[in-house]
Amino acid sequence: MRVATRSGKMPASARAKITMLSKKLVRAKEIERSYKDGEWIVREGEQSKEMFVIQAGRVEITKRQGDRQIPIAQLGKGDFFGEMSVLESLPRDASVRSLGDTSLLVVSAGGLLVRMRRDPTFAFEMLHRLSGRVRSLNARLIKLIAQSGLSEHDLEVMIYNPEEAPPSVRNPSGSKSK
Amino acid sequence: MIIDAVEERMVIISDLHIGNPFSLANQNLSEFLQFVKRERVSLCINGDGFEILQASFVNLAKDSIGVLNELRALIDAGLNVYYVVGNHDIVLEHFLESWAAIQISPFLNVRSGDQRVRVEHGHLYDPFFVKRPELYEIATRAAGPLLHIYPDVYYVWSWYQRQKDKWRQGDASDEASASVYYEAAEMLLARGFDAVVFGHTHKPERVELKDGTYFNSGNWMRSTSYVEINAGSVQLKDWAA
Repeated sequence: MRVATRSGKMPASARAKITMLSKKLVRAKEIERSYKDGEWIVREGEQSKEMFVIQAGRVEITKRQGDRQIPIAQLGKGDFFGEMSVLESLPRDASVRSLGDTSLLVVSAGGLLVRMRRDPTFAFEMLHRLSGRVRSLNARLIKLIAQSGLSEHDLEVMIYNPEEAPPSVRNPSGSKSK
Repeated sequence: MIIDAVEERMVIISDLHIGNPFSLANQNLSEFLQFVKRERVSLCINGDGFEILQASFVNLAKDSIGVLNELRALIDAGLNVYYVVGNHDIVLEHFLESWAAIQISPFLNVRSGDQRVRVEHGHLYDPFFVKRPELYEIATRAAGPLLHIYPDVYYVWSWYQRQKDKWRQGDASDEASASVYYEAAEMLLARGFDAVVFGHTHKPERVELKDGTYFNSGNWMRSTSYVEINAGSVQLKDWAA
């Protein structure tokens, strides 16, 4: 929509309305939610496509192992989680619950784009975090490979063509996968 | 690249524009940097510390060497010196990092006490810079020779900025709408920051917004304003006061 006078200059009232509309658009795509101590925010395996930014409080991330919930990490004010579900539309990879009273900013996929447009450093922070995770996972992978005692050929097959790797290469420790 | 820092005490200055004919930062900064060294506080230059758009290389080299040596002395004394890149010094980032060993960041998330403070130059929220980057650069470069001939042209620019602020504040429906920088700060504060410190506008200020406080560290061209973070408390100060 183009709002302009005949001279091409936008009147002050139209400018103010557009500013308010733009702010309302961002607010409509982001909501604030509060959680009590111990309350589940997301559950592993569930389908939801929102990410969360912690405005106040702390959360604990856990992974299910049989009947147990294994704690993986704790996050605090300013940290964010759930971005993998937003980016890939896949079920939740882990569960998250509130530690004490927590206030969260909930961002949907559409809201994420609007936020990145208006708050570009958020995208930088997400990339920074994801890059750190890839680096850490690479280091763990190299360590596991070094411990596995596989030959150079077996490693190449496992990395570049894992579907064609024989079971002895895919699972060198001999333990049965589930 | 560093974007997260934990600091008990940090001082933030911005817009020194060293090399610019209108900047008096060279005259005022030495004493301030001695204070930083004496008090053993961390220092953050929040963008536009050095001038590349409006300065000749000769001026930049002449004016910057003393400051760079003093910054180097702070680093050698074991103090943290951060440099957040602004719009007048983007091309200098590799030079500063390799020559002066200064840690260059696009922005900083500072944790002090139980508070989180975002330190960012703020040019990314300047509509002129974002919407018309080429025109912005042409206009900025064109102002360079003018500043050499008639340095007080800076006052005309400052006057225009003040008029623009007044015009926008007249239309504003709430505090945050009164400035694009307040709006940007509000977006950041909603992400769990307690305070946001920008530079870029050259206008030192402190404004209470819905979710926290907006600061602008002002400039050292003709002023000596700075922001101090101390155990989570954030204050706007003037070195000359």
